Amino acid sequence: MPAKPIGSVVTIKALNKTYHLGGMEVHVLKDISLNVAKGEFIALCGSSGSGKTTMLNLISGIDKSTSGQILVLGEDLTVQDEDFLAEFRCDNIGFVFQSYNLVSTLTVAENVAFPMEWTKKSELEIKARVAELLETVDLQHRANHFPAQLSGGEQQRVAFARALANDPEVILADEPTGNLDKKNGQKITQVLRLLKANGKTIIVATHDPELIQLADRILCLKDGRLAGQDE
Amino acid sequence: MSKTFFPVNDLLRRKLSTSLTLISLITCVASTLFLLQFAEQVGFGITSAAKNTLTIGYSAIFSSFLFFVGILVFAVGAVIVSFIAFLNMAQRTKDFGLIKAAGCPNGLVFSYFFIELLIVLFLGCVLGVALGFLTDYAVINSAAFQSYPKELNFWYAPLIFVAFFAFGLIFGLKPLINASRLSPIAALSPIKYFGLSGGTKFKALSKSRLTLNIAARSLFRHQFATVRIVFFLSLVFILLTVSITGSIIANNTTATRVEEAAGKDLLLVANKNMGNQYIALLSKFSETKEKTEFNYLNPNFAIPDAAIQQLNNINGITNFETRLVCEGYMQELMNFTIDPETQATIPIGDNREIDSLIVGVESEKVLSSWFIEGRFLRGDYSSEAVIGDSIAAVMFEKPLSQSFVMQNATFNVVGLCLDPINNGFVTFVPLRKLESLKTDSRPNVVLAQICSSANRSSVIKQMQNRLASVNSDLMVFELIVTLEKNVGFLSAIWSVVMFLPLFSLVAASLCLVGYLVLAIDEEHQEFAVLRAIGVKPKTVMTILAIQSLSILFSSFAIGISLGVIITLMILIPEPVVTSFTILEIFAWLLATLTGMFLSSMYPAVRFARKPILEIIS
Repeated sequence: MPAKPIGSVVTIKALNKTYHLGGMEVHVLKDISLNVAKGEFIALCGSSGSGKTTMLNLISGIDKSTSGQILVLGEDLTVQDEDFLAEFRCDNIGFVFQSYNLVSTLTVAENVAFPMEWTKKSELEIKARVAELLETVDLQHRANHFPAQLSGGEQQRVAFARALANDPEVILADEPTGNLDKKNGQKITQVLRLLKANGKTIIVATHDPELIQLADRILCLKDGRLAGQDE
Repeated sequence: MSKTFFPVNDLLRRKLSTSLTLISLITCVASTLFLLQFAEQVGFGITSAAKNTLTIGYSAIFSSFLFFVGILVFAVGAVIVSFIAFLNMAQRTKDFGLIKAAGCPNGLVFSYFFIELLIVLFLGCVLGVALGFLTDYAVINSAAFQSYPKELNFWYAPLIFVAFFAFGLIFGLKPLINASRLSPIAALSPIKYFGLSGGTKFKALSKSRLTLNIAARSLFRHQFATVRIVFFLSLVFILLTVSITGSIIANNTTATRVEEAAGKDLLLVANKNMGNQYIALLSKFSETKEKTEFNYLNPNFAIPDAAIQQLNNINGITNFETRLVCEGYMQELMNFTIDPETQATIPIGDNREIDSLIVGVESEKVLSSWFIEGRFLRGDYSSEAVIGDSIAAVMFEKPLSQSFVMQNATFNVVGLCLDPINNGFVTFVPLRKLESLKTDSRPNVVLAQICSSANRSSVIKQMQNRLASVNSDLMVFELIVTLEKNVGFLSAIWSVVMFLPLFSLVAASLCLVGYLVLAIDEEHQEFAVLRAIGVKPKTVMTILAIQSLSILFSSFAIGISLGVIITLMILIPEPVVTSFTILEIFAWLLATLTGMFLSSMYPAVRFARKPILEIIS
C-alpha cells in the first residue's frame, strides 16, 4: 500500500485511550496531540505505566484509540478496519517489541523473512534482503539458529532486522535496549543511528540516555499527558 | 499451606486450560460410557425385538457389528483420554523448568504436577461417568426409544473409571517424567519443547506458498502432538467408517439378500389359503407370529396342470417355477471326521431333531437367488439339501459335512442359505425327490416372473382371469408388500446402529475443538507476531483451517481405508455394494468431515477476531 504524499509522517490529534479493568476506568492517554516530521527521531520518555507502549501500539494500529485521530502517512488509522491496518503495517511500519516477540519455532533468517513473504517480493529478492539485513545487524552467522539459541541482544537485533524487512517509512521501537546490557544496547543504538542516517522516521520509547541523545526531539509522558518537549 | 494447595491453586489459576482439559475428559468419558451403555440397551433391544423374528444369521451380523462398535468406542475413548492427559502434561514442561529454576526440588515439582494430573483425571472420570449415566437415562427414556430396555449396567462405571484413569495416568506421567529429567534450561527452551532441529538452510517463500508453508511447518514442528491427534482421529474415523459404511453396506446387503432370496418382484400363484400361509411364513422375518397348524398337503392346494398351461399362454410372464411347500421332521445324523494332525476320529454332530419347513424346488428353474455357503442343489432327484441359516445354527455342528434323515430318506447338506421364509427354519430339497417322499403330493405354489417391459397390472389381471377359469380358489399374490416390510424392518434396525456413532462424533468434534484451542494457545505468539507485522485476520484463519484440514484429511484417509477394510473383510462377507451405496456412504462421510471441520474452526474464528494486544499479552 503506497503512502500518500504528506507533510508530516505522524499526526496525532486529541488522542485519548481508556482501558476498562475490572469495572474501573484507567485513562492511559489524555488529549495527546503531536506532529512527527519525515526523518525525525523522537524519544518517548516517561515512567513505567505512563502510556509509552500504548502510544506506540496506537500509532502502529495494533490497538484502538478511545477517541481522537491518528494519521500515519496521511491515513487516518482510527477509522480503518483490521484488514486495512494489517496491510498498512506490513508496508509502512516496522515495530520492535520490548520483549522481541520473535517466533520461537522459526529460525533467525525465517523470522527476518517473515514480513517480506507477505508482500509481492520474489524469493530471490527476499533472500538477498535477509542476507543484507542480517549483515546490518551483524548476525549472518546466526541465520539458521532458533531465537532460543541467541542472547537477548542478538534477539533484539533480529527483531530490528525483521522490523526493517519491508523498508518501512516509520520505525516504532518499544524500549529496545531495556532488557540489554550496555554492550548490546550500544549495538542497538548503532542500528538506530544507521536508520536515522537513512532518513527513517523513528519513534522510540526509552529510558536509555544514549538513545535519548540520538533523538531530535524528546517527548515525556506523565500521567497520560505529554508533559514537555525538548528540541 | 500454600505448598499443599499449590496444585489446586495452579489449576484454578489456569482457568482456560483446566476447564478445557476437564470438559474434554468429561465429554470423552461420558460419551464412551453412554455409547457402551446405549449399545448394550439397543443390542438387547434388537435381540428382544428380533426374538421371534430375523434369522439367526442376520441376528449374528447385528451382534458382531455391535460388539465391534463397542470395542472401537472403548478404544477411541481410551486414546482420547490418553491424548488429553499427554497434551495437558506436555504443556507443563515449561512450568516444570520455571519452578525448578526458581529453586524448587525436582521431587517436589514432580509431586505438584502429579497431584494436578490425579485431580484432573479423577474429576474428569467421576463427572464423566455421572454425565454418561445421565445422558443415557435421558436418551433411553425419550419417546424414540420407548420399546428398548431401560436397565442400566452399573458395572460400566468402575470399568470405565479404572480403565480411563489408568490410561490417563500412564500417558500423562510420560511427559511428566520426561520433564523431570530435563534441566530447567532445557525444559524452558522451545527447542526442546517443540523438538526443533536447527541447521536447515533458509529458503525464502513466495506469498502464495507462505500460508500453506506456515501451516505445514507448524504441523511438522509440533509433530509429537500432530502424530497423536492424527492417530486419535484415525481411530475415530475407523469407528465412524465401520458404523456408517458398515450400517449402509450391511443394510443394503441384508436387504438385497432378503429380496433376492424371497424373489423380488415375483408373483405368487396359489390356493387362497396356501398363498396366505406362504405370505405369513415370509412375514415371520419381521413380525412375531404364533405357530399354527396348517395342512400343506391338502389336495385342494395342489396346482392343477391346466393352471400351469394357462400361465404358459400369458404374454408378459417370462418365467415361472413350481414349488412344493410342506413341513417335515428332520433328524440330524452323527458323522465323523479325521483330525489331520493326530489322525484321530472326531465325531461331528448329534442326533438332534427339528420340525422344518420343507420346500421342494426345481433346481434348474429356481427364480430366487440365495446367498449360499456351499452350493445349490443339483438334479431333481438327488438326495441333497440346502438348509436355512437358523436350522444350521440350532441343529448342526458342521452342516456342510453332515446329513439328516427325513421321511426315511437321507439328505446330504450341500449348502447353507439366508432366506427370510419361516425365519430361516427352512430346508430346500429337489422337488421330484420330495414328491416321491410325500405320496400324492404335487406342487402347491407357483412363482411367476413378469417381464419388466410388460404392464404388470394388466398381466396380473390376465393371470387372475385365466386362473379363475381353471379354479376359482387360485389367486395371485404380490410378494413385494411383505418383502418391503421385511426390508423396512432391517433398515429400522440398521438405522439404530447407525445412530450410535453420532454421539462418538460429537465427542470427537469436541476433543478436536479442544485440541485446536490448545494448539492455538501454543502458537499464539506466532499468530500475534503475524498479525502485528501486518498479516490479515483471515490469513491467520486460513492457516488454522489448513492445519485443521491437514489433520482431518490425513486422519480421514487412514481411518476410512482401515475402516472400509475392517467393514468389508471382517463384518460383512461378500457385501452388496452398488454405485448408489458408495454415493450414500460418501455423502455421509463428507457430511461428517464437513461438520468436524466447521466445528474445529470455531476457536480459529474466535482467535482471528481477538485484538492483537490481547493475544500478545
